Amino acid sequence: MSGKEFFTKRYKALGWDYEAVELRQAIRVNTINAEEADVLERLQLRGIELEKISFLENGYWICKSTFSVGATSEYLLGLYSIQEAAAQIPATLFNDLKGKQVMDACAAPGGKTVQLANLMQNTGAIIALDVKKRRLIALSNQLERCHVTNTIVYNLDARQASRLNMKFDRILLDMPCSGNFATDNEWFNRRTINDVKRNARLQREILAEATKVLRTDGEIVYATCSLEPEENELNIDWATKNLRLEVEKIDCYGEKALTNIFGKQLDNSVENCRRIWPKKTQGFFICKLKKRRDT
Amino acid sequence: MMKPLEDLVKLFDASIYFDLNLIVKKENRYFLLNEDLRKLVRKDFFYAGTYLGKTKNNRFFPSFNLLRIIAKQRANKVIVDKKTEWLFICGRDVFKKGIKKVVGSGKRGDYTLILNLHGECLGFGKILHSLDEEYDDVAIKNISDIGDFLRREKKQA
Repeated sequence: MSGKEFFTKRYKALGWDYEAVELRQAIRVNTINAEEADVLERLQLRGIELEKISFLENGYWICKSTFSVGATSEYLLGLYSIQEAAAQIPATLFNDLKGKQVMDACAAPGGKTVQLANLMQNTGAIIALDVKKRRLIALSNQLERCHVTNTIVYNLDARQASRLNMKFDRILLDMPCSGNFATDNEWFNRRTINDVKRNARLQREILAEATKVLRTDGEIVYATCSLEPEENELNIDWATKNLRLEVEKIDCYGEKALTNIFGKQLDNSVENCRRIWPKKTQGFFICKLKKRRDT
Repeated sequence: MMKPLEDLVKLFDASIYFDLNLIVKKENRYFLLNEDLRKLVRKDFFYAGTYLGKTKNNRFFPSFNLLRIIAKQRANKVIVDKKTEWLFICGRDVFKKGIKKVVGSGKRGDYTLILNLHGECLGFGKILHSLDEEYDDVAIKNISDIGDFLRREKKQA
């Protein structure tokens, strides 16, 4: 069970007609390092044309640039990061990040870790984990480039987060996932439903461990760049029934998530998640969860 | 533990106080923590707080974070024009004509930070010819520049 026809039929059954998309490059200004207006002016002087992304605070589309936006002094000085538009949403959904103890569970290559540090204004602490040591080098380079000073990085599988003996106020779960065709031309040839199921199992394990290390009333933001409901709505439905988590309402770009998946009715609260079908951005799924008190 | 750091800072005729309790070493790499991180950090961390640099073959290689910290203090600095900024981050040396301002020592053999017109630190170099004289040649040899972030990315790819 794989291939373009198989997956696009599934999307159709979920209410979306497949269409190819061409993604626009996006940047996010690192406001801890510079005034946003100054960065924009400097980039415009370099001949880079930008357009504000309406649903993001510090995000801009690159409309025109005669050279790589990843090779300017401003980039190398950490004044902005290159970050896909939908990927800029999850970190912004937390309430009140300043001074908090935050875990970024699958952190490499670090775009969202840097964004969290910005939102926290380098206060509190971020504990950033990644299971692949090689990817930690990329993460460390991002932290150094972007002047992040409130982060500790460990080479640790998120499924073993309780080994840290810490409790967190906020947890970002930018899950390892199957991805989507918008960012990978070969996606339909590479992926099978078995990959999707394997990733969904892994995500449940990470979510369960994250719940263990989350403080009561703490928040988890769960995100994938997968379009497959097994990795999204079905996992959140499972979490609300099996973990001490409830779905919080969020106000961000995207459609209400689905509550009926191939005939299976899910908990109504799942519609408070956001599903983003590829169009302006890549495909994405975002959900905010809160840990319930013991009853 | 502090000597390599102190020696490096002295290279730029600067002086910075580091709280020894807030500096941690991981293999050959040094990190500066804040009080919060100091309480939380475990021995098996990979990266923490502000990366300061590493030692290799008994030499200390400063991070760009450390250079930025030094650049905020009284230290040897030169401010370069836009074209020189670009060439410098591409790994090139600094020509005399590209230097707009010299702060601190301009003596041959001394080390100096390289800043752009916005006062942002781009790296550092070694002065090859006195910066007080007039000539049309390389004045500062590039030792390290922020273009290194790109070179690291390429190495990883």
